Amino acid sequence: MKDKVIWVVDDDVIYQTIINKIIQKSGVFSSHFTFPNGNEALTSLKKILEDDDTALPDIILLDINMPVMDGWEFMEEIKKIKSDIRKDIHIYIVSSSIALEDKNKSATFSNIMGYIPKPISVNELIAIVSNT
Amino acid sequence: MKNTENWGRFINWFAMRPRTAGFLVFFIFATITFIFSVLRNQILKDEDRNKMKIILNNAHQNIEQSLKNCYSTTVSLALTLDNSGVPQNFEAVSKQLIRSNPIVSSVELVPGGVIKYIYPLEGNEAAMNLNILSTADIRKEAKKSIESQKIYFAGPLKLRQGEVGIVGRLPIYNENKFWGFTAVIIKLNTLLKASGVKDIQHSDYYFQFSKKNPVTSKEEFFLPSKTDLSKSYYISQSISDSDWVLYLVAKQNVLVYPQVLFTSALGIIIALLFGILTTNILKKPEELEFLLKEQEAKLLKTEMKFKTIIDQAPVGFAIIDTASGNLMEANKKFCDMLGYTFEEIKKLGVNNVIHRNDLETFKNIKNLEKGIITDFSIEKQCLMKTGEIIWVNIIVSAFVESNEKPTSYIAFTKDVTERKNAEALIEKSQARFKSIIDNISVILWEYDLETKKSSFISKHAENLLGFSVEEYEENPRLWEEHIHPDDREYALSFAKKNKNFVNHEYEYRMITKEGKVIWIRNIINYGLKDDKPVISRGIMIDITTMKEAEKNLNNSLELVTEQNKRLLNFSYIVSHNLRSHTSNIESIISLIETAESEDEKNEMMQLLKSVSNSLDETMKHLNEVVNINTNLNLVTKPLKLSKYIKRARQLFTKQILTNKVTFITDVEKNALINYNSAYLESILYNLISNAIRYKHHERKPIITIKLYKENGKDVIEVSDNGIGIDLERNADKIFGLYKTFSTNSDARGIGLFITKNQVNAMGGTIVVNSIPNTGTTFKIYIK
Repeated sequence: MKDKVIWVVDDDVIYQTIINKIIQKSGVFSSHFTFPNGNEALTSLKKILEDDDTALPDIILLDINMPVMDGWEFMEEIKKIKSDIRKDIHIYIVSSSIALEDKNKSATFSNIMGYIPKPISVNELIAIVSNT
Repeated sequence: MKNTENWGRFINWFAMRPRTAGFLVFFIFATITFIFSVLRNQILKDEDRNKMKIILNNAHQNIEQSLKNCYSTTVSLALTLDNSGVPQNFEAVSKQLIRSNPIVSSVELVPGGVIKYIYPLEGNEAAMNLNILSTADIRKEAKKSIESQKIYFAGPLKLRQGEVGIVGRLPIYNENKFWGFTAVIIKLNTLLKASGVKDIQHSDYYFQFSKKNPVTSKEEFFLPSKTDLSKSYYISQSISDSDWVLYLVAKQNVLVYPQVLFTSALGIIIALLFGILTTNILKKPEELEFLLKEQEAKLLKTEMKFKTIIDQAPVGFAIIDTASGNLMEANKKFCDMLGYTFEEIKKLGVNNVIHRNDLETFKNIKNLEKGIITDFSIEKQCLMKTGEIIWVNIIVSAFVESNEKPTSYIAFTKDVTERKNAEALIEKSQARFKSIIDNISVILWEYDLETKKSSFISKHAENLLGFSVEEYEENPRLWEEHIHPDDREYALSFAKKNKNFVNHEYEYRMITKEGKVIWIRNIINYGLKDDKPVISRGIMIDITTMKEAEKNLNNSLELVTEQNKRLLNFSYIVSHNLRSHTSNIESIISLIETAESEDEKNEMMQLLKSVSNSLDETMKHLNEVVNINTNLNLVTKPLKLSKYIKRARQLFTKQILTNKVTFITDVEKNALINYNSAYLESILYNLISNAIRYKHHERKPIITIKLYKENGKDVIEVSDNGIGIDLERNADKIFGLYKTFSTNSDARGIGLFITKNQVNAMGGTIVVNSIPNTGTTFKIYIK
């Protein structure tokens, strides 16, 4: 069961600490990584693809409001990856406040599997994994 | 005198009888023609006879001459005889004689009456030895010469040797004793030929030659032409030494000559023509009199007709004497119009009914008299018999006889009171409309599309645009020239694009004569003629106030929209940021509850403290923003910008020195801006701070601060040569709260958010221009 890889892309340092604790407590991920913005996550993703590394993330918890590259810009870049590769990356938008326009926008990206309002609980995380 | 009277009576008598006079003229001319013809005929006849005499004389003389020559021949022949009566050299002499007198065919010597010598003998042998004194048919004539003792020409007779001839015999005496004859034989044809009788070829005459037969005493004719001359006209002459008579006979016995006949006929024709002409001429007065009567009847009829027309005419008609001004004639309409009878007007005088003593009428009448004008028309008020005043249109023309001064005036009058009243109403109405048009606060205009000229513009144009109506009329391009330069192209193209001439309206700015800018709404429609627009009309309304109100409204709307946007943004910020912290707190509490050790709990407690501090910081920021936006009574005063820049620089002294920043200030030392002191300080601090923080690592930072005016507004410009911002990606979040777009760890996304709020709170705007890796420029527009 402990075979999923999860990435957290969020600029909130406190939240990064909290989510790491929650991921650990969930016990369903073989590994997890945090990135302060979309750009760093994308750089890592591209590197994995270049190295033909199989450790692609199964789940990405993505914040929208981030410096350098926000969540939407990150999604636009993801769109450029071959569909047979990116289809296995399940992305969830995680935000403390979700506007309607953001929900509409998310429908245009096939990789976005859903919205999770903060705070996220261990059970919610387990439920996400079971849907993956 | 009496003779003259008689002559006149005589002439009149004939004038009254054109046919008799005509016949008399014919008779006189015919008589003259007859007398003339008779005289001319006689002259022609005399001429003819004289001509015959000349011809006859000529022929007669020729014969006489020939016979005389023959006498000479006989004498010469006698000379050949010697004393004994014997001829000497007869043949030689005869030959010579015949040669000299060619009409002689032969010569003979007849001694004792017997022909013994003949030259030439040949051809004449039959006559040889003929005793002429014993031969019956010739003896008598031979004896005639003996009796007369001179030459006698016998014949014409049939010669023994043949042919018809004449024999001229000269009796010769020797010692007073008859010896015999010398004779010449002349052939008749030769004689006639020599005399010219034979040759005559006259169409009008012919010759005849006769001799009284010595035996029968009857006249015998020897020429083949006509012998009965009793019915012919002829003249004759006897030939000496013979019994011959020569006749010249006219071929036709002409009584009247053709020339005379032609002349007579011509004369008769002329006489006839004169007769007819006289008759016709004398008939003319009669015809003229008839025509005159006919014309008189026509004239009378026409006059009656005209009189009826004038009497029944729907206009008044009057004739006025120029000298006295008295009414001479007037029709019923004229009298009825004024309510008087003709006699009453005549008695009153035209001047008392229709006043002619005004200046204009006086001037026109003078011009009419001088011939400067032929007529004039005037409208005057007239007093009726009833005391009522009516308006009358009078057309006056001069009646001129034989190029002299006018003897009378002809006046046509028409009651135009109704029209005048209507005109007065129209005039009043027009005045009212004019007053409305002049006083209405819009410009009414009309433009002739064919002449491309303004045909009307209301007076309000002067009030609104400052240009007089005359200036509009004089300069067809005035409107075009005074459209605001920014709107000219639009306004003109709008007018030009309207090819189908659809009624329309549009708005644009114009510049008045004083240079003021006003807003105009132009509502245009078109006047068509044969489906073609010939005129455009419109109303120009000053909508400046409305436009200003609209602008203010738009500004207010923009302000409200902006405030709403900011409020929404702020509420979102509040919601989002507070929610982040609360969700973190919630998660931490949950983690504390499920903590498996005290260390874990402590770790979570530390985390909770961090959240608390973060929340506090967020609250401070939000409070600051709330303060900025709710501080309605911001104190503004003139601030010396250079002083504030200097102060800001002092705050960054360490950074400036460390980073070797070049600081350029392009601001006048005493330049003032009206601003809030704290905000100006904060804005300069944030912008300079950013310029240093986001420096380019490959070059030394250069920060430039300028103050200048743009569209009348003060602008503070802060520019740097730093890393720049990718505005394509970050334009919407550059001034957002907690929006950072650099990898700098100390970037918090608060400075520009605060700066924008401060600028906006002061009523200004902030804009940014940036090129990545080149630099960034912020411009603050001060209200």
